[in-house]
Amino acid sequence: MNDTPTLRAADGKPALSRRTFMMTTAAGAGVAAACGAVAATPEAPANPHAGSQATRVTVNGKPYELALEPRASLLDVLREQLGLTGAKKGCDHGQCGACTVHVDGRRVASCLTLAVKTDGCAVTTIEGIESPDGTLHPMQQSFIDHDALQCGYCTPGQVMAAIACVREGHATSDAQIREYMSGNICRCGAYAGILEAIREAAPQMRRSEGARHA
Amino acid sequence: MHDFAYLRPRSTGEAVQLLVEHQPGARYFAGGTTLFDLMKLGVEAPATVIDITRIEGLARIDASERTELRIGALAAMSDVAEHAVVLREFPALSQSLWKAASQQLRNMATVGGNLLQRTRCAYFRGGPEFACNKRVPGSGCAAIGGANRGHAVLGGSEACVAIYPGDMAIALAAFDAVIDTVSPRGERTVAVRELHREPGATPHLETVLAADELIVRIRIPRGPVGRASTYHKIRDRESYAFALASAAVAVHIRDNRVADARIALGGVATRPWRATEAERSLVGMPLTRAAARRAAELAFAGAKPLEHNAFKVALGIETVTDALMLAKDRS
Amino acid sequence: MATPTITNRNTPRAGAERVDAHDKVRGATRYAADDARPGLLHAALVPSRIARGSITRIDTSAAQRVRGVRTVLTHENVGTFDTGGFLMGGGFGFQSFYPLRSAQIAYRGQSVAMVVADTLEAAREAAALVVVTYEATPFVATLDAPGAEPLAQTAVLPQPMFADRRVGDAEAALASAPVTVDLRYTLPAQHQNPMEIIATVAEWNDGVLTVREPTQNAEGVRHGLARQLGIEPAKVRVLSPTLGGGFGQKNSLQSHTVLVAIAARALQRPVKLVMTRAQLFHNASFRPASRHHVRLGADRDGRLVAAVHEIDQQTSRHDLFPSLGTEITSRLYGIGNYQGRERLVRTDVQTPGYMRAPFEHPAAFAFESAIDEMAYALGRDPVAFRLANDATVDPLTGKPFSSRHVAECLVKGSETFGWARRTMAPGSMRAPDGSLVGWGVAIGTYKAAVAPAIATVRLNTDGTVRVAVGGHEMGQGMRTAIAVTVSRTLGAPVAAIEVALGDTTAAPQHLTAGSWGTATALPPVLEAAQRLMEDLRKNAGGTAGESGVTALALLRASGRPFAEAESRRRAPGQPEQVFGRLTGGLPAAAGPVYPDFVAFSFIAHFVEVRIEPTTRRIRVPRVVSVADCGAVASPRTARSQVEGGVVWGIGAALREVSEVDPRYGGFLNADLAEYVMPVAADIGRIEVDFVGKPDTRLNALGVKGLGEVAMVGVAPAIVNAVFHATGKRLRRLPLMLEDLLEG
Repeated sequence: MNDTPTLRAADGKPALSRRTFMMTTAAGAGVAAACGAVAATPEAPANPHAGSQATRVTVNGKPYELALEPRASLLDVLREQLGLTGAKKGCDHGQCGACTVHVDGRRVASCLTLAVKTDGCAVTTIEGIESPDGTLHPMQQSFIDHDALQCGYCTPGQVMAAIACVREGHATSDAQIREYMSGNICRCGAYAGILEAIREAAPQMRRSEGARHA
Repeated sequence: MHDFAYLRPRSTGEAVQLLVEHQPGARYFAGGTTLFDLMKLGVEAPATVIDITRIEGLARIDASERTELRIGALAAMSDVAEHAVVLREFPALSQSLWKAASQQLRNMATVGGNLLQRTRCAYFRGGPEFACNKRVPGSGCAAIGGANRGHAVLGGSEACVAIYPGDMAIALAAFDAVIDTVSPRGERTVAVRELHREPGATPHLETVLAADELIVRIRIPRGPVGRASTYHKIRDRESYAFALASAAVAVHIRDNRVADARIALGGVATRPWRATEAERSLVGMPLTRAAARRAAELAFAGAKPLEHNAFKVALGIETVTDALMLAKDRS
Repeated sequence: MATPTITNRNTPRAGAERVDAHDKVRGATRYAADDARPGLLHAALVPSRIARGSITRIDTSAAQRVRGVRTVLTHENVGTFDTGGFLMGGGFGFQSFYPLRSAQIAYRGQSVAMVVADTLEAAREAAALVVVTYEATPFVATLDAPGAEPLAQTAVLPQPMFADRRVGDAEAALASAPVTVDLRYTLPAQHQNPMEIIATVAEWNDGVLTVREPTQNAEGVRHGLARQLGIEPAKVRVLSPTLGGGFGQKNSLQSHTVLVAIAARALQRPVKLVMTRAQLFHNASFRPASRHHVRLGADRDGRLVAAVHEIDQQTSRHDLFPSLGTEITSRLYGIGNYQGRERLVRTDVQTPGYMRAPFEHPAAFAFESAIDEMAYALGRDPVAFRLANDATVDPLTGKPFSSRHVAECLVKGSETFGWARRTMAPGSMRAPDGSLVGWGVAIGTYKAAVAPAIATVRLNTDGTVRVAVGGHEMGQGMRTAIAVTVSRTLGAPVAAIEVALGDTTAAPQHLTAGSWGTATALPPVLEAAQRLMEDLRKNAGGTAGESGVTALALLRASGRPFAEAESRRRAPGQPEQVFGRLTGGLPAAAGPVYPDFVAFSFIAHFVEVRIEPTTRRIRVPRVVSVADCGAVASPRTARSQVEGGVVWGIGAALREVSEVDPRYGGFLNADLAEYVMPVAADIGRIEVDFVGKPDTRLNALGVKGLGEVAMVGVAPAIVNAVFHATGKRLRRLPLMLEDLLEG
């Protein structure tokens, strides 16, 4: 029970205020939530995210069968429906890189990816980078060792971008690393540490993964 | 954003048919880096989205034909940027690609979609309170008389001065590339230099394409002029930003004289801008820095600066001059 | 936490690992917006499209019809709630204006409604369908707009701390000085733009409100909300364990938080609001625009004899956000005649506030640029000129500095940078590729402030340690400094130490800002840990004297189930009553003036710029920064702080401006593409060093602040370097290409 007295409408349902009540009765309230009437319902609908588009996607090796709204971004589906909150929303417009994940091995901005487009694809997020036994990926360890982070918010996107950067063959010089990591903004300004981390992890990755691109 | 119908055709024929069926309010949707971005802003609001990215065979880069390089419209920007033939024969094209956006976005975006990228003008994107003839015909242009540092000095009109923001189209215009399209009326070919319209009195019409017309291919003539080329891009930071001024430049030098020169401007015009007079001025001469500079000045001779972007003329001249010298070093 | 075998062979940076780095690189750290549990409702704000006036009609019917929408709050139906007040006026908020309390529109982008729905998509869809009709009235958008009338700060803010600073007679000394400079500088509005957008999750359980929000001031948010909702503070809990960057924008009670709490209460469900990046430009504070007029006088021997620094700073129509820049420029050098004057200019905008080095960066930009011009007017080397004018006591109060090593910063930095190879004449240095080379220097300072804090340290027999203290971790490494200190004192492994920060039920949570966070939290934490050890030793008898014996060993030997100790500390000179302010959520920091001394951190920045001769693109290939922040509590995180501060300085000098179209108000470039921040390709080599001399007059650990001094002086060093390269003095930030282009 709240300490604050809760105004109640004639039907006993709590309302925000008398004025709300008057507005909603005028609009024909008493009807279900679809009309936007204010109703305090402790239970959640079965799946509020359910949409029309069947989508089969593998995320970090785990298959999902989802019914998605076409308008939902991959970022929002990962975060709000699949409990994978590692990828972050920094701008929602592809302008910062904090949402970077891999789709079929390529780094992408998940905020500008329609989730339904991942049908039949394999998505990898920061949660899927470490080994099953908890051993960190060399890039993750390198980030720690070079303090390539401060607040940590851009870090998952940086790590995902950095791993892809190396695999793309774009980590062969400092200038190249800087250029190809410019799609990931770090407001804390940890760029120097990030560069060091990638410089150190790149040859380790090449040794363990083998050369992928020229 | 309201939810929309999402369709995923398997062939170009099916795609075109679906678009016609769901017109108006249907859009072809490729990588989504332009369209999804604008839908989140409420600038675009299609009721039906036709995802063309699963159409087979439209992503190939085909160098088998000696006279032209063929690039499927669904090829990813990142793939075209790194293609061996592109790197060797059209370095300006490669640069125009990898100097755009970020690798994340280049992995998602298709070259066909990139051609149709829309302006970054803050008044166009910022919300209904801003007068914008492109978004709402007849509502006015807030950039004229407003914050127009980033706007056009070439090709503007009283109705609109918004920059065409893409980089790749500048290089393609320099190389006389063409695009092939399909529509209910059949196939046709459009030169990239003729694809984009100047705003004139109708800034909401950005290209010569019909709403139901689907780009399927880009073709670039192969020849001596592509190899000594560069895309020089000047922006407010070193990367991950649109151009303040850019130039796609190519030169073919024979016996120490310019046999062919291409100069196309970006970041300064309402559409990709071939500076043909400037190009002609170089033909038959040695390419000295002074000659390059004269050509650059010619390229900007018709520039009409606005209150805050007059520097683009000086910057543009330096950019073209430097670009010509960089291209010369490649020959 | 198990330590997996590491097979790679990295060469890690010096100093202990950041304690939260492991979780951060795995994406395991939870930020407020990461709450995605079933049943959570999603909120979306609706922004005002006009800059000033009122709402004449607001129609939410279409919004309410969207499937999944639970409610649409407007000023008409939200009910009454109190103001949370203004942080600088005895209240808690970043501004005194709270949207939805009336139909009034005070600035473009102000929230006029909030939608709550089952999904984020539904909330956003509905937000776009709210139809608002406005009556617009004229407004003033910028500092220099006609009708923007400056108010003398002394006239409108009578408290002593806002008075014009003065020593000697600067105007007279200036009038008789043989060499003078008279210069004006302009800085734009800027936005903090931490990567983490402001988000609020509110839920009620049995009449208790829990709010999760990234805030630097959990106690202020708690008390502010309690006031707004008319409930006891004991019924409100605020949690902010980790922020994805703060930089001052998360300093106080935000103006939307109460709306989320109201919605959660009415709907009896947890509600999550995540602003959009664009909304962040208008719904929280920002760095105000400012104009500076600096006049300096010197004698022919190169001694500064007079300085007058006048500042006009932007504020909102509803609040007076003070200007304090002269607090530092009066102490950068030993100038016997100083006059500061500050004026506030009302504009129609949300109240500006604290953005990393809020007064210090702009003031130092103006002053250190002017100092460079004076050095050249006198024909003196810029480093030598600064050294010759160093202060030995505080010019304003006459008190000694608790510690002041700016001379050493300059000397060390100069050596590392290779300053001796500099030739004075502008344009005299060129790179092999033809770029113009410029070398510039500037110093910075920032007050060493301290707030009261209460810390508890508890050791359990399983070896776990729990530390609770007031403070907020936003990447500065506070958690690390605390864990490392406790680890050393107790002999406990860092991995066993849990540090509770930003939790109003764990300890009172004073605002973490002003670079005082670590200096505030660390001394009581150290003392509590020391008391714990002492207590354990006393009870241990024989084993107590052994060196190297751990606290855990002592505890286990004692047979007690746990041991706990507390400490409470306040700044030098603060009365006991200050703890009442601490627990009441009110700011209670002291400094830089203490009873027996003044305390400042110092830094010197040396910058090399290279300017492309044709396009005039300015690059910063290397920076050397040497800081005097007392003892360095955590070397690894301290180095990162300075690197970050240098990046901020580069952004402030060469990239960032919040653009205003005076016809529309608000900020035009409200996204991360058009608000230009530095990217990786913008940043070259940054070398960081520390003087490292503990300031034991300030606290037992000898620590001063670092997070903001790190940035102060970078911008003028860059601009001074640009002068050295080109001969052109630029006095408006940010520098743009067109500033150096001819034609």
